[in-house]
Amino acid sequence: MSPLHGGAAALTNYVFPNDLHVHWSLMIVLYPYITGIVAGAFIVSSLYHVFHVKTLQPISRFALLFALAFLICATWPLLNHLGHPERAMSMMLTPNPTSAMAGFGYIYSAYMVVLILEILFIYRGTLVELKQKSRGFMRFLYGILTMGSDNIGARAMKLDHKIISFLAGIGIPMACVLHGYVGFIFGGVKANPLWATPLMPLIFLLSACVSGIAGIILTYFVIKTIRREEVDMDCVRTCIKFLWGFFILDFVFEMLEVFTHFYMSTHHWHVLESLLWGPLYQSYWVYQVMIFSVIPFFLLGFLSLIRFSDGIVKFFAPIVSLMILIQVLLMRWNVVIGGQLMSKSERGSVAFHPEWLEKEGILAAVIIMVAPIIILYILGKIFPFWQEKRAGHTAA
Amino acid sequence: MEREKILAEIRQDRRAFIKKVASGTIAGSLLLVIPAGAFELPEQLPGMKEEKGPFIKGKKFAFIVDITRCIGCGSCCVADKNEYNVPDGNYRTWVERYIIDDHDNVYVDSPNGGLDGYTKPREDLPHPVRDTFFVPKLCNMCEKPSCVQVCPVGATFQTEDGFVLIDKKRCVGCAYCIQACPYSVRFLNPVTKTADKCTWCYHRVRKGLLPACVNVCPVQARKFGDLNDKNSEVYKIMHEPHVISILKPDMGNKPSLHYLGLRREVV
Amino acid sequence: MEENYKSGYLTHVIILLIVLIIVGVGGFYARKAFLPDGFGKYGHYRPGAIEDEINRPLRNMTNESCLDCHPFIKKIHLKGVHKTVSCEMCHSAYANHVDEKGKVFAKMPRKQGKEIRELCLRCHNKAIKARPVTSIKVVELPAHLEEKKVRTDHNCDQCHHVHAPLYYVNLAKEMMNMKEEKK
Repeated sequence: MSPLHGGAAALTNYVFPNDLHVHWSLMIVLYPYITGIVAGAFIVSSLYHVFHVKTLQPISRFALLFALAFLICATWPLLNHLGHPERAMSMMLTPNPTSAMAGFGYIYSAYMVVLILEILFIYRGTLVELKQKSRGFMRFLYGILTMGSDNIGARAMKLDHKIISFLAGIGIPMACVLHGYVGFIFGGVKANPLWATPLMPLIFLLSACVSGIAGIILTYFVIKTIRREEVDMDCVRTCIKFLWGFFILDFVFEMLEVFTHFYMSTHHWHVLESLLWGPLYQSYWVYQVMIFSVIPFFLLGFLSLIRFSDGIVKFFAPIVSLMILIQVLLMRWNVVIGGQLMSKSERGSVAFHPEWLEKEGILAAVIIMVAPIIILYILGKIFPFWQEKRAGHTAA
Repeated sequence: MEREKILAEIRQDRRAFIKKVASGTIAGSLLLVIPAGAFELPEQLPGMKEEKGPFIKGKKFAFIVDITRCIGCGSCCVADKNEYNVPDGNYRTWVERYIIDDHDNVYVDSPNGGLDGYTKPREDLPHPVRDTFFVPKLCNMCEKPSCVQVCPVGATFQTEDGFVLIDKKRCVGCAYCIQACPYSVRFLNPVTKTADKCTWCYHRVRKGLLPACVNVCPVQARKFGDLNDKNSEVYKIMHEPHVISILKPDMGNKPSLHYLGLRREVV
Repeated sequence: MEENYKSGYLTHVIILLIVLIIVGVGGFYARKAFLPDGFGKYGHYRPGAIEDEINRPLRNMTNESCLDCHPFIKKIHLKGVHKTVSCEMCHSAYANHVDEKGKVFAKMPRKQGKEIRELCLRCHNKAIKARPVTSIKVVELPAHLEEKKVRTDHNCDQCHHVHAPLYYVNLAKEMMNMKEEKK
């Protein structure tokens, strides 16, 4: 049990004077959340383009646009957080090779290039057709997006196909690095007992996949409902199965981390214990684990293993996806903010209450999370989310 | 009579006193008129004025904090705050008070970082106090600094003479270094919006002055000197039998800040 | 089924490659242009930062600096038990009084009344344990005043000259032919 027991515990709450302030707050919770969704959505698309999971074809293009919408917003929380956002380009000018965070500039840019290129190549056939049908600004825009070519003959499309496979192929490790390095930013901080673990990049990456798939399922349902179109149930069922698979891995590693430390019961554990059974008890055990991990774990299990009717799946899939999205957000919150609640004095903790109207406050977080939806809407006007199934014009 | 004698003496003294004060004041006011000019800085660290290069050569500076001497007056905190205009709520150095009761419970506090001194004893303790002591804290100036390792833009760095400094013109304020420091000596300066920390008064040391906190400590609990100078106090301490420790040795940072008489309860 | 297109089958790839190369090369040279002077010379930092830190203005000085202009205090302070107490601790930093050219531009704060007592008690308060007896003599108020048989609303500086606390005490003892207690 905790060594800080009884009356002595409250009196011993000593926090280093510089530890009173939580430096990485909502914005830093959002950044891995957003890049996680990006990485996860990309994995969904790659499941089709690289691993040829045929049932995922209906959302294979949509997933990329979804990823792009979030990727565009990925820098916003960081720029909001920085004390000197005008110096942000320093990360590209003089990245420190020993700093995981320095990777951000180049990793983000490279990934953006790969994602945009993949979208352009996959959509090229459709875009050329759309260009012929448009006038004015849209025609000009499509001209740029088709990279100045209107050739959609067999040879060009074969070349495109090869390029798409290549991009989707290197895109997977790049997506892993895009989110894995964030895990390493935390995992490499030896001074913080909650963060310092080799499992951190893995946990971040798996929860990223999970959030991406869940995000796609949810938005797929929402958009189809708004447009009053049919939902492809095979696609949804496959997504649910993959979601369950990734979530098993994610949940197992998250619990393994805590359990191993509990089992070894070193000094490291005693510090963690006072955090997890202290200020973080509710948000970690009650919300993240009990309500938003265990319940979706079983829900997903049932939905995957038992062939329920379409109606039941249509009801539960968006709900469980929303729960998973909340779980991942809670996990980011508990890791980022939870890790800073414990003082490095190992003798006390602070509380954190975000404000609505501060610079890194709740309102800013809401705006940043709503922005990708708006961007997705705009992207949907340029790149049609879904193709009509036509003979002779199969997707790449 | 006795009383007359004493009164005479007091009057005599009073006259002497007033004379001294008057002359002092006149001399002082003369100084107001005559500009003092660039006066010579006292040489507290010998051989520093000749140092022209980017780095200090031939000297290995050590900072030793003697726990057995600290009285918790907070002069060091006051001097530090004055030297750097440290914003309220942030601390480049601070003093902690440790109280151990007869049930081996440890109570630690640091009201305003010790800046106002310790004027009130702790009344809220359930058991009688067995032992108590003060621990000043400041940048450990690690040989393998975690902060330098994680800075994404190279705004915090380690000089060849072992000082870890911050480039205020390049720091982007990401606060990664603040997360990485195991000793919590770094903070985000709300005025400059960059990271900030104790620098062992590098700008004073380069001019041959002791760090501000070392200079003002009335009981020599903070010591600073050159380990290459065999006559320096720090050399003697490090080469004689003493209980010398560092904080959080298992972090692997190899701090250059050493504590004399550190207690096992200190983290 | 090969239709006639305006562009070749490779056109878009070539255009793309050209764009990427331009951006890459442009970025490379832009980086060189924006790199701070001398960056990387001694390590992954800007060497000018060391200069910046060295040129930071000094705010505190030393007791010697203050006493250079205040010779009366110098005479009594340096012999008293308070010789290790910093002038700037009570009177604030040197730079608040004298500018870089050495000209006095403002008066220093002088502590009065209760402030003096607060300052004395920062070091000499017995109630806060943990003051090593080898370092300092501690007293408890009002016990100290009662022991010395003076009124308990007396301030410290009514018996102790703040710059040389035992100055008056020793004078008084001499006058009264009292012997100094050996510690």
